Amino acid sequence: MAASMRLLARRVLRLSNRNVTASAAGVSCPSCRCYSDAAEDRSTHFGFETVPEEEKAKRVYKVFENVAEKYDVMNDAMSLGVHRLWKDMLLHVMHPQPGARLLDVAGGTGDIAFRFRDYIHSQQERQKRRAVRSSQSLSWQDISNKYPSEDRPHESMAVVCDINKEMLNVGKKRADRMGITSGLSWVVGDAEELPFDDDQFDIYTIAFGIRNVTHVDQALQEALRVLKPGGRFMCLEFSKVTNPVLASLYDAYSFQVIPVLGEVIAGDWKSYQYLVESIRKFPDQEEFKGMIEDAGFYCVRYYNLTGGVVALHSGFKL
Amino acid sequence: MFKNVLSRLVTETVRVHRNVKHAPLIPTITSARVSVRSFTDVKDEVQPPFDSSLLEFLVCPLSKKPLRYDANTNELINEELGIAYPIVDGIPNMIPQEARLLQKGADSSNTPAQ
Repeated sequence: MAASMRLLARRVLRLSNRNVTASAAGVSCPSCRCYSDAAEDRSTHFGFETVPEEEKAKRVYKVFENVAEKYDVMNDAMSLGVHRLWKDMLLHVMHPQPGARLLDVAGGTGDIAFRFRDYIHSQQERQKRRAVRSSQSLSWQDISNKYPSEDRPHESMAVVCDINKEMLNVGKKRADRMGITSGLSWVVGDAEELPFDDDQFDIYTIAFGIRNVTHVDQALQEALRVLKPGGRFMCLEFSKVTNPVLASLYDAYSFQVIPVLGEVIAGDWKSYQYLVESIRKFPDQEEFKGMIEDAGFYCVRYYNLTGGVVALHSGFKL
Repeated sequence: MFKNVLSRLVTETVRVHRNVKHAPLIPTITSARVSVRSFTDVKDEVQPPFDSSLLEFLVCPLSKKPLRYDANTNELINEELGIAYPIVDGIPNMIPQEARLLQKGADSSNTPAQ
């Protein structure tokens, strides 16, 4: 009896808190009420359609639920394998060192996380070889065995966070197939409300995911929150092509070829129609740079890849 | 005849997998680290063990407070707000809408002193 009363009391408190804050925010009550109604009717873009905000998240979820199994195959087909180069470029610019902690949001099937691990391993090999190069008599293998393993405060670790369970399941299966046992975690979470504590990660990446987020500014705020001071925010996203000739070719390819590929390979025309439309609706390089700066990042810059088809934005939390 | 045997083998194994998957789950904590399962289809009655090293930086997305891992129900529990996040296939689901509201004294195994 006491237990249920406590639960009830807690619920009432929570509701009353909400009422208190609502009335405190808008002193003139009538306008306050109109404001909250307007918020409910606020709409956003889903490709070229206009949908209410709650709708967008649900529809995006459905899109990725449908394409999860064929996602990697489709990426290769649509970009003719170039998406691998874009992701490799992201890692190259990131240049992570052993001991780094990565949070890959909208990481889905884990492309960035896997590359991160490989890069760190090759860095470790390089460090070992460098440490051993000074000694000349013994073979480098003997010497490296003598050296104790580097004492890092913690091992490098990658966390893949995605709002979609299906995408994460595909990624986890890939990891299991590759025999990865440690240093890689999978979490279902919302980019606008990350389930991580403040100042946790060295690097935050979001590759081809931020245009699917309903409130991009909230996602950027959360990114700032979970990064350590000195941490880096990196975002790969489709952007505006600067060259007009290339732009018209790209448009033709996007709208004529990609949905057809989607239908043939994944059996889903609409999802890929959404994909190409959502690219057009996303802000361009400069505008997105402004948004990142507004969120509180410093030294924001972007690199155009493939003539502007993809932009790599980077910012630091200082 | 060989084809019959082969088709029966295939359907039977599929049926076995399906039944095995729906069997009641017996969660076990083996070790802190997640073990790699090479035969992913076989041991489906047991949930893959949850990697508790994640708990170091995983918090409730609503209150940003640390969580408690409950091995019996295989959930992450936020005592303060009284909600539990499920863990499916070793992957914690931290979406607030998917969290379960805890009824005090009914579901959670070790209820703290009231």
